[in-house]
Amino acid sequence: MDPVSRQLHEEPTPPNLDANRKPIKRGQSQWMIARRRLLHNVPAMISIVFLFIVTVLSLSASILTDIDPARINPMLIDAKPSAEHWLGADNAGRDIVTMLLYGGRTSLLIGFSCTAIIIFLGTLIGTVSGFYGGKVDSILMRFTDFMMNFPFLVFVIVVKTIFIDTGVLALILVIGFLGWTGAARVVRSKVMSEKENEYILSAISIGTKPSKVMLKHLLPNVMSTIIVQATLLLASMIVVETGLSFIGFGVPPDVPSWGNMLQTARNPGTLSEKWWIWIPPGLAITFTILSINFIGEGFKDAFNPKSSK
Amino acid sequence: MLVYTLRRIAIMIPIIFLVSVVVFFLANMMPGDALSGKIDPLNSDPQYIADMREKLGLNDPIYVQYGHWISGFLQGDFGQSFVHKLPVSELVLSRLPNTILLAVIAMFITYIVAFLMGRYAGRRPNTTGDYGVQILNYLALAMPSFVAALLLIYFVSFQLGWLPASGSIGSGIEPGTWDYIVSKIKHAVLPSLCLGLLPIASYTQFLRNDMIESAQKDYVRTARAKGTPEKKIYNKHILRNSVIPIVTLLGFDLAGIIGGSVIIETIFTYPGVGQLFIDSISNRDYTVVMAITMLLTVMTLIGNLIADILYAAVDPRIRLD
Repeated sequence: MDPVSRQLHEEPTPPNLDANRKPIKRGQSQWMIARRRLLHNVPAMISIVFLFIVTVLSLSASILTDIDPARINPMLIDAKPSAEHWLGADNAGRDIVTMLLYGGRTSLLIGFSCTAIIIFLGTLIGTVSGFYGGKVDSILMRFTDFMMNFPFLVFVIVVKTIFIDTGVLALILVIGFLGWTGAARVVRSKVMSEKENEYILSAISIGTKPSKVMLKHLLPNVMSTIIVQATLLLASMIVVETGLSFIGFGVPPDVPSWGNMLQTARNPGTLSEKWWIWIPPGLAITFTILSINFIGEGFKDAFNPKSSK
Repeated sequence: MLVYTLRRIAIMIPIIFLVSVVVFFLANMMPGDALSGKIDPLNSDPQYIADMREKLGLNDPIYVQYGHWISGFLQGDFGQSFVHKLPVSELVLSRLPNTILLAVIAMFITYIVAFLMGRYAGRRPNTTGDYGVQILNYLALAMPSFVAALLLIYFVSFQLGWLPASGSIGSGIEPGTWDYIVSKIKHAVLPSLCLGLLPIASYTQFLRNDMIESAQKDYVRTARAKGTPEKKIYNKHILRNSVIPIVTLLGFDLAGIIGGSVIIETIFTYPGVGQLFIDSISNRDYTVVMAITMLLTVMTLIGNLIADILYAAVDPRIRLD
């Protein structure tokens, strides 16, 4: 699915966090209040723990299992789950549990890297555009609108076809450079409402350099928006990677990833007879996204001054 | 309103021009000749390629080549498919009705299901029924469409045998008969449901939250004070206001469905434009790839245009910009 349309369904965060907030206790910063709210949000906390465990398990894949994920074992082709191989093996005799761990590493790595690139580009373009306004803003925003017109998945596939036979890094770069538009728009609108505040006006009036105003004064105050946006993006980036790998245009087939694991289920025989090959990666993707979504909502509530939680 | 619509359409013309430049640029970077499809992409003999390039004018200056391509394009000449030995326009037109059918059914399912579930949950917030709808929503938002597709094929097609899992029509059915229509729709239900999954969940959520919020508003209190029956308050007063914002998103849905169809049609081996796109990439039939890229981009543009116009129709303030 398309991350752009996902973002369009999001409600904008209400502007002016500071003006609307009721003082709960004297001396509490916005971050302290947000942390307290987040700690009391049960689904979000469970999700953070879950995501943490998934990440740690994936990162320590090489410690947890001594099976080589790429090794093809003809003895184990389509093996059913057993005591030795908890979830059996796939059509090339690769152990499913091992593949899940290594696959999680690839899928999460790509998800986090793409999100990082997109948030960096989106924040850069959105902040510059929103802060300077005028001509700079209209040029950058026309460019953003223009980029938004392209169907994201279709263009990722086309660009990937030009750079055929390239690995994981190329995929990350292509997704990153095509996907920043939504983030730029959200950051821009937040910066535009934030820069009208007096602290920014006074910083400018005493002659602070624009770069310093943006980095030291604006950025910390749009950070809450950026964090929420990053969480939503992480979820959609994992979907993009697994989706592309699933149809064979993502990660190279010899690299284990959750999307590549699901690819075997495109064979009707595997789909109908061998549930242990495709159900585990399907569930891994779904529950990872579910937990990221809960964390995203937790952040949104925590930063929202009108929230009752 | 008319002025706004015309102005929005006028803005689209330079955008389409720029889009065509981007597509042309990408096509030029593709191996072989991606725009007229007269060079065999699998033949790597340098003499053959050099001869063909000279013959097809691929050594001309880049703007001359662009001129040739865009004038052919405007006359409906999208080049030749090397694999199918057919004009690309003919090939794409044979697949387009299937994708449009999919999109129409997907939207139909989306609006009906989201309306029913949203109304159900919005009328009884924080009850068991509401929580049930919410859980379904969270799952639908988290499950990627292709995972949902696999589960639906496994349970609905393989285990229960209710609906077909591949193709767009049963074998040996005559076009034009009643059976033909039924079979067509049956084949489209599962892929459409997968395409609609994300919008269903987000609309249900939106409708529920908006109904709960509206129920506190003054006009609802006035209606209650006048003694309007509860059923009428919900159906006539609240729902009408809550449905409007959803309808304006119709254009964005169109864009989302176009992107999603590439993956979903491939899973269901549904002979639409999305599947043709993926097949053509695998077969290195780049003429078709570039024509579909252009087509899908224009369709996305139209989707965004519809969204903007609907939005302006609902909210008059937009038109003033």
